[in-house]
Amino acid sequence: MKDKKNNIFLEEYENEFSYKKSKTNLNIEFNRIAFIFFIFLVISIIYSTQLLHLGSLKIQNEIKPSITKKNYRADIIDRNGNYLVKTVSSIDVGINPIEVIDKKKLLINLQLIFPNKNYIKISKKLEKNKYFYLEKKITADNYEKIMMLGDKSIKSEEKLTRIYPQKNLFSHIIGQIDDDNNGISGLEKSFDKKLKQIGEPLQLTVDTDIQFLIREELIKFHSIFRSKGSAAILMNVNNGEIISMVSYPDFDLNKRETVNDIDFINRATKGVYELGSVFKTFTVAAGLEEGLIKTDTEFLNLEKRLKCGKNIISEYDKKIPSDLTVEQILIRSGNIGSVRIAQKLEIDKLKLFLEKIGILSKIDFDIEEVGEPIPFRWGKCKLATVSFGHGITTTPLQLAKGYAIIANGGFEIKPSLIKKNLEDNQNQKRIIKEGVSKQINEILRKIVTTKEGTAGFANIKGYEVGGKTGTAEKSIAGGYTRKAKVNTFASIFPTSKPKYVMIVLLDEPKTSEDYIYKYKNKSGSYKGTPFNTAGWTSVEVAGKIIQKIGPILATKYIEN
Amino acid sequence: MKKVVFAIILVLILGTSLVKNSTKAIEDKIFMVNENIRPLKSELGDILLEYNYLSSPDKLTQYQTQYFEKDLVKIDITKIKKLTKKSNDIKVSDFLEKIIDER
Repeated sequence: MKDKKNNIFLEEYENEFSYKKSKTNLNIEFNRIAFIFFIFLVISIIYSTQLLHLGSLKIQNEIKPSITKKNYRADIIDRNGNYLVKTVSSIDVGINPIEVIDKKKLLINLQLIFPNKNYIKISKKLEKNKYFYLEKKITADNYEKIMMLGDKSIKSEEKLTRIYPQKNLFSHIIGQIDDDNNGISGLEKSFDKKLKQIGEPLQLTVDTDIQFLIREELIKFHSIFRSKGSAAILMNVNNGEIISMVSYPDFDLNKRETVNDIDFINRATKGVYELGSVFKTFTVAAGLEEGLIKTDTEFLNLEKRLKCGKNIISEYDKKIPSDLTVEQILIRSGNIGSVRIAQKLEIDKLKLFLEKIGILSKIDFDIEEVGEPIPFRWGKCKLATVSFGHGITTTPLQLAKGYAIIANGGFEIKPSLIKKNLEDNQNQKRIIKEGVSKQINEILRKIVTTKEGTAGFANIKGYEVGGKTGTAEKSIAGGYTRKAKVNTFASIFPTSKPKYVMIVLLDEPKTSEDYIYKYKNKSGSYKGTPFNTAGWTSVEVAGKIIQKIGPILATKYIEN
Repeated sequence: MKKVVFAIILVLILGTSLVKNSTKAIEDKIFMVNENIRPLKSELGDILLEYNYLSSPDKLTQYQTQYFEKDLVKIDITKIKKLTKKSNDIKVSDFLEKIIDER
């Protein structure tokens, strides 16, 4: 019994002593593996990101492949993709006489490749033991032949050269570079940094064919009217794109000459002139804008002469009636009528209008050669003279801008030489009432079509040309001289829906005895220039230009 | 769950290496094409320059006076015609629909 009582019960504690993978242990193991894979994953993500990053970097680098090349500059093309400037690499071949083994053999071989060279001179150069250039800008064929000789003394050097295939045509727009590849004028200067950085060509708004035709006419009339110089600007009134800008005389960019003569300045942008009656359009437009006048508002008993301080203001046209409407004042180019409109406007309103259309201050343009209108103090007499464009100066480019704003319905535009593919009036602010534009355009058309108008020679069939003439005497110390004039014609076309503004300026033209004018508004012709006015000079030039470029503008830019 | 995670990680690693390999192959091809394009581009530029020079208005006028007896004449815009094709018919009309204000 006792035994029974002291029975020892052996129980198996197998579960407690046997090795058992605890849940905690299992988690640690799993986390280790996951951690390792996680690290791999992170590495692979970093690697993939790096790959993507490198891939994108490569694309960026591909855009500018040769920028690191010394003296690299991007090409410049016109609006149709024609080269205006191209950087080409050329090879110059020279000889180092020290390394020549057999001089006789070398000379014979060279004679076969370059038969027209002076070998007596070359032989002498070989004797001097000093490196010399045998042929600069060698042709590909000759380069291959000379290299095939395998002579160690023949050295080749690759050089980058700037070529201007249009020679003089865009000299003032493109400008020049110096020997250190730095732009010194024109777009070469203002876009110097960009041209050195970009890989793609810089596209301009200009059209080579139209530029050529305009320049041809300017050259022709330069000799007919024996002017000191001339300028023409053709601009799209709706987006400010300059299709042509010529200043004559000009220069061949390929010659790389230093141009110091003031006669070669860019008259279109740098020349600051008193432009005369072309300003009357602004005076009338300002009056209409302010609602102080209407086109049929009458000004009665207008004097023939006005005295303002020491100056006498008189009418150019002695037959001009004393009673004129606003429209007639502009058509007949009445000085006294313009003064009366300006007096109604007063200084502040006329000044504000001229500031608004960008006449008074220096224009922000794509090239740095821009003239600054001469500042002046406004007063009663100044108000009077400014109304007909005297005592106030500006550049032809600013005149083009002013006329463009008035013609395009009153939208602000920025003249530009760089193609941006802007749509007409896109994001542009209206700064003049639309009605003003319409009324002025109609009057400008009448200046060209009516008998009383001063620009009949520009009435070219099919183009609805409108415009205003301006004949200004040049100022000299203490007054004006009748001997030197600036004759300008500011035109817009077609007046029913203006697309283009064209300024033609002749600097100091003279009358021609032999030139035959063909009347546009009546039959017949006239020999010789009777008056040295814009109507008989710049208008004739503008008419001839429009006749030539008109079909191209009408057909080529039909969609624009 | 474990297997799924392993599988995803494995697929990602494999995917990355495959993408990398194929990218490299594409990059090689792009490099080859670019290298082949480069001289062609240069040649095209030179030919275009030559073409632009030879067909420039200045040169064409020079050729005209050199090889032709007659002078070039201005085109009268009123004489330009417009061709409009409608199915098989070609309609000829004036380029300027109307000439406004011909005074």
